[in-house]
Amino acid sequence: MNQAASRSCLKCKYFNHAPADLEAALPGLSSLSSAYAAVRCDDGICAVHQRYVTASSVCPAFAYPVSRIRSMKLSHCAS
Amino acid sequence: MAEIAQTAHSRVIARRSSWGDLFRNEDWWAIWIGLGLIAVAVALFAADGNIKWIAVAPQKWSHLSDVTQQLKQHALQYAALFVLWSVSFGIGAAALGIKISRFLPAFLLVYLAAGSIYFLGLWDQAAHYNLEPPLVALGLGLLVSNTLGVPRWLDPGLRVEFYIKTGIVLLGASLPLTLIAWAGPVAIVQAAIVSLATFGVIYFAAVRLGLDRRLAATLGTGGAVCGVSGAIAVGGAVGAKKEEVSVAISLVVVWAIVMIFVLPLIARALNLSTGIAGAWIGTSEFADAAGLAAAQTYGGYAGNVPGIAGNPDAAVSAFTLMKVIGRDMWIGVWAFVLSLIATARWERTGIQSKSRAAEIWNRFPKFVLGFIVASAVVTLVARGFDYAAYKKEVVPALVAPLQAFRTWAFTFAFLSIGLTTRIREFASIGARPLVAFSIGVLVNVVLGFVLSTQVFNEFWNRLGQ
Repeated sequence: MNQAASRSCLKCKYFNHAPADLEAALPGLSSLSSAYAAVRCDDGICAVHQRYVTASSVCPAFAYPVSRIRSMKLSHCAS
Repeated sequence: MAEIAQTAHSRVIARRSSWGDLFRNEDWWAIWIGLGLIAVAVALFAADGNIKWIAVAPQKWSHLSDVTQQLKQHALQYAALFVLWSVSFGIGAAALGIKISRFLPAFLLVYLAAGSIYFLGLWDQAAHYNLEPPLVALGLGLLVSNTLGVPRWLDPGLRVEFYIKTGIVLLGASLPLTLIAWAGPVAIVQAAIVSLATFGVIYFAAVRLGLDRRLAATLGTGGAVCGVSGAIAVGGAVGAKKEEVSVAISLVVVWAIVMIFVLPLIARALNLSTGIAGAWIGTSEFADAAGLAAAQTYGGYAGNVPGIAGNPDAAVSAFTLMKVIGRDMWIGVWAFVLSLIATARWERTGIQSKSRAAEIWNRFPKFVLGFIVASAVVTLVARGFDYAAYKKEVVPALVAPLQAFRTWAFTFAFLSIGLTTRIREFASIGARPLVAFSIGVLVNVVLGFVLSTQVFNEFWNRLGQ
């Protein structure tokens, strides 16, 4: 259940919701709005689907970032 | 799968509801800065003091020697004001993840350029040559960014929304809460009529032209609710393609900038009063910053251009009521409803998202709360004064300095709009989105005009007096 819960776009390596990256990827965004605004929530860009999606979305292409996989392996070894 | 989506969503909601949110987005920082300045002003006012010294602003001038004289006389105050803004916006920018060492040099240039434009607007011949500060700031910025180019080191200082939201919170201090309560419902009704009609026109025109429903919805909210902010809120909620969001942003920015110049021009030709013009601009402009530029420009005509009646501040007040109370506040509702429809009715995208009512609060433009609290605070302070005493004591010592702060913040924003609008970087729009959006713009402008000048005209005129 916990593992499933962490498999949302927010935790996915293909999902980018860093405000500076979004403003660079969407020209004009910072002219009359902002990636730092409340209305954006945690929405970001999925590199697999090339869509602008909410952070709570899920899809079969989910993959953990490399750093997360490393820490999972380490904790597995430790246990 | 549904369980996965639901649990994941709950985690995100829990994360977003934490106290950390109060320091994680610029809406909250606009509130802290705006209300912080108001709190200091009120505290000093209560102790028979004021913030006039640091809320320095250019005065009317005729010759360049007057400018030099003003600068010499108030040099220390202008330096102190720069420090105040730098610390306020710098802390906010740092909390948002923008390096302060990159923000400050850029902001210094923004401050100097904004100060020059502020001075230019107070030249006694400025109105004669149409040198309204918002238009000069915007025009100059556009010219520089699209010809010479803007060096990238300036980008961290060009935070249009941060400045405009702070200015809107400060604007609350000059609008009595009773006025918001009196005008708010009318603004909501007028804005709702125009928003629903405009969204419907853009959406159905786009679908009839064969565009994807997600793009149609993103374009529709961009044109009908709150411009680029509306487009990104709904684009994310419905899971639009990245290039569809880019197209919507480009269309909104281009049309919004055209409207900054066109709406005041038409209103001026028709001698609309400031209240009516502000309401029309509030109904028909897409973005807060663009609309405030147009409304402030028009307010500047009052008393300078023959035939234009009304209080200069009424254009900005009517605009803000219409746009912020009537349109911006409802973006969460639009995003939630459209995400429900997208999930239930539209073709699948390969990504599963879950619609939750919590989206309404998550996407709520929080700076609106700051605007209302600012209004409540100053209304409370002014409660013990009759009208004559309010004009004589409260306005010069409390309201006017806060208005000066607001004008500075707006000028930073207007300049930043132009400097961040690099037309050659925009996405290729395509004929069909352009046609669908432009039809909506036409309906929006005409309907907004009819409602402002024929249906609710007496109401908006009264606001201007």
